[in-house]
Amino acid sequence: MKEVAIIGVGIHKFGRFENKSYLELGQEAAQMALRDAHLEWKDVQMAYLSKMYLPATSGARIFKPLGATGIPICDIEAACASGGIALSQAVLGIQSGAFDIVMVLGTEKMPRGFMDPSMIYEKWQIQMGMDTNPSYWAMRARRHMYDYGTTDLQIAKVAFKNHKNSVHNPYAIYRKEFTIEEILNSPLVCDPIRLLEICAPNEGAAAVVLCPKDKAARYTNQPITIAACVPTNAYYSADFRAPLDSLSAKTANPGPTEVAGKKAYEQAGIGPKDINCFEVQDTDAFCEIEIYEQLGLCQAGEGGRLIDEGVTQIDGKYPVNMSGGLISKGEPIGASHLGQIFEIVMQLRGEAGQRQVPNAKVGLAHVLGAGNNCAVTIVKK
Amino acid sequence: MDRDDPQNKKRISIREGLFTTPLVPVEQAKLIGSQCKDCSEISLGKRQTCSNCGGVNLEEIPLSRQGKLWTYTVIRHKPPGDYKGPDPFVPFGLGLVEIPEGIRVLSPIQCDLEGIKVGMDLELEVYPLYTDENKNEVLAFRFRPV
Repeated sequence: MKEVAIIGVGIHKFGRFENKSYLELGQEAAQMALRDAHLEWKDVQMAYLSKMYLPATSGARIFKPLGATGIPICDIEAACASGGIALSQAVLGIQSGAFDIVMVLGTEKMPRGFMDPSMIYEKWQIQMGMDTNPSYWAMRARRHMYDYGTTDLQIAKVAFKNHKNSVHNPYAIYRKEFTIEEILNSPLVCDPIRLLEICAPNEGAAAVVLCPKDKAARYTNQPITIAACVPTNAYYSADFRAPLDSLSAKTANPGPTEVAGKKAYEQAGIGPKDINCFEVQDTDAFCEIEIYEQLGLCQAGEGGRLIDEGVTQIDGKYPVNMSGGLISKGEPIGASHLGQIFEIVMQLRGEAGQRQVPNAKVGLAHVLGAGNNCAVTIVKK
Repeated sequence: MDRDDPQNKKRISIREGLFTTPLVPVEQAKLIGSQCKDCSEISLGKRQTCSNCGGVNLEEIPLSRQGKLWTYTVIRHKPPGDYKGPDPFVPFGLGLVEIPEGIRVLSPIQCDLEGIKVGMDLELEVYPLYTDENKNEVLAFRFRPV
């Protein structure tokens, strides 16, 4: 199969920007990625917009002002995994030979507070009060604590690590360190998950420009190869995310993160031990613990031990969420996976400043969300 | 029939195909599961297809009214959207209740929140959640300690 390379990346800080439209957020990230690839918009042959909360034809509205060049523009939505699905489509487009230069942009501008529940839940679920998003992660956390003895302190330690990492990330909305005590004393949102352990939806954009690897040298001397980009949706009994109404108690399927992770490792021909840095879906601090297990950084039930032993700190064996994660960056849903790719490309280029993982050569990005959409991308120098 | 007579007030389900009928007396209503005749898996409520195997030979079965709490959280802030629970808001439990037939049902849990714990024995309660614009009593469900 033809190899695909990332030749340019761009980002618009994740945050709140009252005087900026989603058009400007997206255009700034797209232009930054084009400059990074030493290209102009007229060179792009296909463009994807990853988004969830933006209106119809957002892709066309963002891209056409850069030049109405007649190229196909496609909007993609798969909740928190939108960026992974869009990226995989772009990779397929290049591998098929249909396109050489493809732009993938993620952009979001979301209302404050809880997301509009009618986007995800049926009317009866909303009326019965079963539409608080963090509750689904919280129930996972409670069962994990019951099965494996995972503690409130271990969950707080993940939040501590990610907030600590964020101090050095200029693209994060929150860049403040908190003590373990402050985290454990922050209000419960959905037991056992607390306010300082949870990510908030916000605004921002991130973009990548792709081309066939054998042509990458024309545009950059630092191409990053996409070793795998695997989107998936959960098997039957692993369908735990919103808008769940019931689950089998008879069948046990592996979770979508495990499925996508295994496939991605296979495609890339490597295992977790070969990966130097990870950016994963920390919708809340607990789910990062479960993701350690499902991505094979440890056995099931050992995620708590991993955070206790500092394995996932920037100076640990498996650095996770060097950027501060979604807990610190916020989650502009359509942009989050591309934001993760941006961070890993910075790491692999050695340009991540004080968040730099020494000598990083291979990185993994993971997203997971509503409808049980999931994606794992592995990139390498 | 005197529509204003509370005995004749019309009761409807919050979601079609969710409860066994008749809905009077409400104490005898049960949740319906759709069981696949091919793979035997059960989903909540009336379904056209089995999301495990894709089978179309489904049988509606009444689910036991008793179950055990498999996991839970506590909803501490008023849920977003058109929530029909008490106003002002009262925190409540939300959990997956494991029913002996082999299904875990997501449900509000009505109990002392200090005492909520995994494994506790629960019983189904079908109850009127609100009255709709046609004066129908809309029935929802929750689980309570036995």
